[in-house]
Amino acid sequence: MNAMSNVILKITNLKTHFFTRRGVVKAVDGVDFELRRGECLCLVGESGCGKTVTALSILGLIDSPPGRIVDGEVRYDNLDLVKCSARQLRQIRGKEIAMVFQEAQSALNPVLTVGDQIIEQMKIHLPMEHREARNRALSLLEEMGVPSVERVMSSYPHQLSGGMKQRALIAMSLTCDPQILIADEPTTAVDVTIKAQILDIFRDLKAKRQMSLVFITHDLAVVAEIGDRAVVIYGGKNIESAPVSEIIGSPKHPYTAGLIGCLPDISQTTDRLASIPGNTPSPIDLPQGCSFHPRCSKVMEVCSQREPAQIAISQEHQVSCHLNQ
Amino acid sequence: MTRRLRDIARKVGRPLYVNRRLVNYYWERTRRNKLAVVGLAFILFLILLGAVGPFFTLDPTLVDFEQKNLPPVGFTTLKSVYDIETDELATSEVRGIWTHPLGTDSKGRDMLAMIVSGARVSLLVGLIASGIAIVLGTIVGVLSAYLGGWADNVMMRFTDIMMTFPFFLLLVLIVFIFGPRLVFIVLAIGLTGWTGTARLVRSESLSLRTREFVMAARAMGASDGRIIFRHLVPNVVSLIIVIATLSIPGVILAEAALSFIGLGDPTVASWGIILEAGQHSLDTAWWVAVEPGIMLFLTVLAFNFLGDGLRDAFDPKSNI
Repeated sequence: MNAMSNVILKITNLKTHFFTRRGVVKAVDGVDFELRRGECLCLVGESGCGKTVTALSILGLIDSPPGRIVDGEVRYDNLDLVKCSARQLRQIRGKEIAMVFQEAQSALNPVLTVGDQIIEQMKIHLPMEHREARNRALSLLEEMGVPSVERVMSSYPHQLSGGMKQRALIAMSLTCDPQILIADEPTTAVDVTIKAQILDIFRDLKAKRQMSLVFITHDLAVVAEIGDRAVVIYGGKNIESAPVSEIIGSPKHPYTAGLIGCLPDISQTTDRLASIPGNTPSPIDLPQGCSFHPRCSKVMEVCSQREPAQIAISQEHQVSCHLNQ
Repeated sequence: MTRRLRDIARKVGRPLYVNRRLVNYYWERTRRNKLAVVGLAFILFLILLGAVGPFFTLDPTLVDFEQKNLPPVGFTTLKSVYDIETDELATSEVRGIWTHPLGTDSKGRDMLAMIVSGARVSLLVGLIASGIAIVLGTIVGVLSAYLGGWADNVMMRFTDIMMTFPFFLLLVLIVFIFGPRLVFIVLAIGLTGWTGTARLVRSESLSLRTREFVMAARAMGASDGRIIFRHLVPNVVSLIIVIATLSIPGVILAEAALSFIGLGDPTVASWGIILEAGQHSLDTAWWVAVEPGIMLFLTVLAFNFLGDGLRDAFDPKSNI
């Protein structure tokens, strides 16, 4: 198997901590995953589990102070992005690895037209004439399924609908044909019909451009829809990673199982929806042992004492839970 | 370099220039403030006066001792002439004439012509010096907010020191060292007047830099300079317009005050210079001092009214 040569981005034991007055916030505390060429990898987890910080760490966008990547490696193309200089990183951002942010409204500059912003992004990395850049922007927007592109180009963000803005944002991230696209909850802030359209766009990107996607979401329905493999993150660590069919079909970690159990089933009538009791732990003082044990339905004595090691159930399926030891 | 500057200026000013709808919106909001509209009208009138007025008036430097100290039309004054033959003071009444509608000064120069050419000087001083101050203040403020850390500290402490230093004394010092040339006066006012702008722009930029579009620009590989000039500065343009409008009257007054204490450029007839000349002849020709005084008063008032109106119009939280 030549799985290794196929890996385009490999993250090993990434730890990003924030040093605040109230203590050290271990937002990301040992995340491992690899992204293969042309696949869509989903990072799944609740709010505050460290998904977004992981994504920002990959691009070196953690504000320092207070944040710092204290350990780990982000390997892209024989480069360790953690150790790259600011200048090297700037050349990678947008050109090699691009990112789509969650809320299109706030990710667009309110005083510049959408067209100006797309053209602007192109000029960062490519030596382009204005006209050429403009034509490319138009064709990108068309590819995103934007109707009346000329009008959208000359509109300001507040004049467009949420779906349009999200499309513009995706178009912007594609201006330099990046190898990897990181999408941070791109479907969270739009309504369901738009959500389906946006997911279609990402599916097309994968199929037509062989783009490698890191898709951050808390929505398992979206994962099932678009993901090839998924990494479940809890308390700043990945606790289970497997192909999506296995994650959904036979989750090994109680947390993953819990997340799937939370999905309402339309064929059954219930009074209450299932939920996982408790809240995500504060990243300032994570529980001893397995950080999920206070909420776990299958908690054992060992869970509060020792952190579970990551074990491979199969070549493609890893889980960190004492149940499987 | 100049092309680069022009490019930046075009991009920075673009949002308001291109976006007609936004301009209309702000105009609608400004219009509701009647005083602001009156102020704007007066300023436009002044600009017109300064631009084309000198072509219609007499030569403001033309000295005519025959016609000295004539009062404005509608006023009379007493004129005493010492008669050598009778060894007596002959007092006669003098009326204002239409050749010199605003009267003449002690050298017989036409007051109307002087006021009109003074308008040009005062407006230029106000615009250029404010321009320098605004550009400096914006650069310091945005940089300070964006860079943060020790750079922010150094720049803001320097701003504090500039602020605690008595502004007017500094002006006097600069003029004293470099001489009373209008260029230096304008430069001095511009180079000392940026501190308030810097602080306001900094506080606005501080909240802007944490906005997601700045992070998004960084994620696309934008350099610091690009983020500052392309993303931060265009977002503070409306604030800058308000600051500029409100700082112009201060600058005009500063120049007038310098002239009044005798540190103005004597070769250029600004309102301050006329005022200063008039103070020596208050008992014989009060209008020489009063006329530029009224103009200064009205101009400052107009800019303040307009500035207040713009501030309310640009503030999305104000209910007007």
